[in-house]
Amino acid sequence: MEVDREDGRSQNQLRPLACSRNILHRAHGSASWSQGDTKVLAAVYGPKAGTKKNENPEKACIEVIWKPKTGQIGKLEKEYEMILKRTLQSICILTVNPNTTTSVIIQVVNDDGALLPSAINAACMALVDAGIPMRHLAVSICCCVARSGLVILDPTKLEEQNMKAFAYLVFPNSVHSVLPEGSLSVQGEPIENGIITSVTHGVMSVDDYFYCLERGRAASTKLSDFLRRNLQQQSTDSSKAG
Amino acid sequence: MRGLQLPLSQTQRIRLQRAFEKLQSLSSKVNSDASVTVADTIPVNYEDAFLKGHGTTDLNGELVATVCGVVERINKLVYVRGLRARYKPEVGDIIVGRVVEVAQKRWRLEINFTQDAILMLSSMNMPDGIQRRRTALDELNMRGIFEENDVVCAEVRNFQHDGSLQLQARSQKYGKLEKGQLLIIDPYLVKKSKLHFHHLEQFGIDLILGRNGFIWVGEHVETRDRMVVDQANSSQQSMVLEEKDQTHTPLEMRQNICRIANAVHVLSTLGFSIDADLIMETVELSSSLKIDIHDMLGSEFHVLVAEREAERRSLMGKRRR
Repeated sequence: MEVDREDGRSQNQLRPLACSRNILHRAHGSASWSQGDTKVLAAVYGPKAGTKKNENPEKACIEVIWKPKTGQIGKLEKEYEMILKRTLQSICILTVNPNTTTSVIIQVVNDDGALLPSAINAACMALVDAGIPMRHLAVSICCCVARSGLVILDPTKLEEQNMKAFAYLVFPNSVHSVLPEGSLSVQGEPIENGIITSVTHGVMSVDDYFYCLERGRAASTKLSDFLRRNLQQQSTDSSKAG
Repeated sequence: MRGLQLPLSQTQRIRLQRAFEKLQSLSSKVNSDASVTVADTIPVNYEDAFLKGHGTTDLNGELVATVCGVVERINKLVYVRGLRARYKPEVGDIIVGRVVEVAQKRWRLEINFTQDAILMLSSMNMPDGIQRRRTALDELNMRGIFEENDVVCAEVRNFQHDGSLQLQARSQKYGKLEKGQLLIIDPYLVKKSKLHFHHLEQFGIDLILGRNGFIWVGEHVETRDRMVVDQANSSQQSMVLEEKDQTHTPLEMRQNICRIANAVHVLSTLGFSIDADLIMETVELSSSLKIDIHDMLGSEFHVLVAEREAERRSLMGKRRR
């Protein structure tokens, strides 16, 4: 069934992506991520000495501060902070710098749909810019189910408001393996088939959810390629230093 | 091209691009297979014994990168060097830092590292030069030696159990730095060399290249060996010191300091490794072309420096053959 999206995109088409790193000079790592009109700025400070009172001192701790574009900080921002913290904790290697705190600060510049996925992507790029060791890169995408039962990717704010249900999904990035036997596998399945985070709103059937997962996974490989090209470019620039 | 925040005209952009392409083709590390992103496997011959270095981890029997960067191999060590990482200190490195806090029997210095470095009172020479136990009076007079926001040059002594650094400043060449300017650049641009203290006789200026990316450019200070001084001369010299404190730096000296500082800024923006010869060449280039000091930070001078560096490296390459 053909769907009529306002900006003329097809079902599985993402908005134009743009990512730039090292934009804030004082932060240890920073990145800006934009998907269409949604733009998010992320800054990473750390690792700093000491952990908070309730945290395990044998591991590194990650602290997230979410700053909305307007208004006071409320329950929604706290929820985003918690989701982001859990996601980043599962991709970073916490045993490398024990008893330290890394602060990640997210500033929303413009919200036009798919805000949390953009924030997760921006935070991941900022951690790469700061040189924090990680297990995978987090690639996140928003899938939603329309009232007609159709599944579309990367909605704008208007589209989001008319949806029956939507899901934010975070996948590990696709691995570039040098060995001919294939990439890393966990219990026989390649690692790209794993999932890091899934946040859902609304009501959808189980089949719809699995369909969203498939679509999201396919889109995440495209995003992984975009990230890889972006990072490769920087490493060729540094060979000038000689 | 890296994000150079310079307003470049069309011709300048083309010239800069051409110079960078020439440099990349001359660079010996143009092996693009060596760059990895997070979670990529690193090509290693698993039958040889190899050591896993920084930025790698063992996942299911395979060697995987944890940071984005370039794979470096030295003998049996395989590690991933991050591109814009923070300073990674080694014992014996010479660094420049700024005092952040005066604590009990120690000073805390800010260097470009995850934690502040510590300089113990016992690792510092006393002003009267006598080797003795530090008493409570010495502790109370710590502010007389270094205060907050002073710039200090020291050497890395060792690492403590929680990962923080301990410094020492026992020799005459270390200590408080005055009458000059501190510059902050990326730490990977300062390579380890035999000489980190440079005295530029032409200008009468001291240049200290700290391995943490803090560079000190200042007026030359005579380093005397305080151990040899005897009591009779010491009072005379202390009077001379007081007079020196009151004299101002002459204008020409200040202009030279600014010129050298701008040369360092230009080289770090373009991403070239910093060493004293390169800085001197850049300064001579600017004075031979009669470029004004603040024009040195303009786009035209950046392009000229990039072109000159490309020429110099191609000449070096030809000479080697």
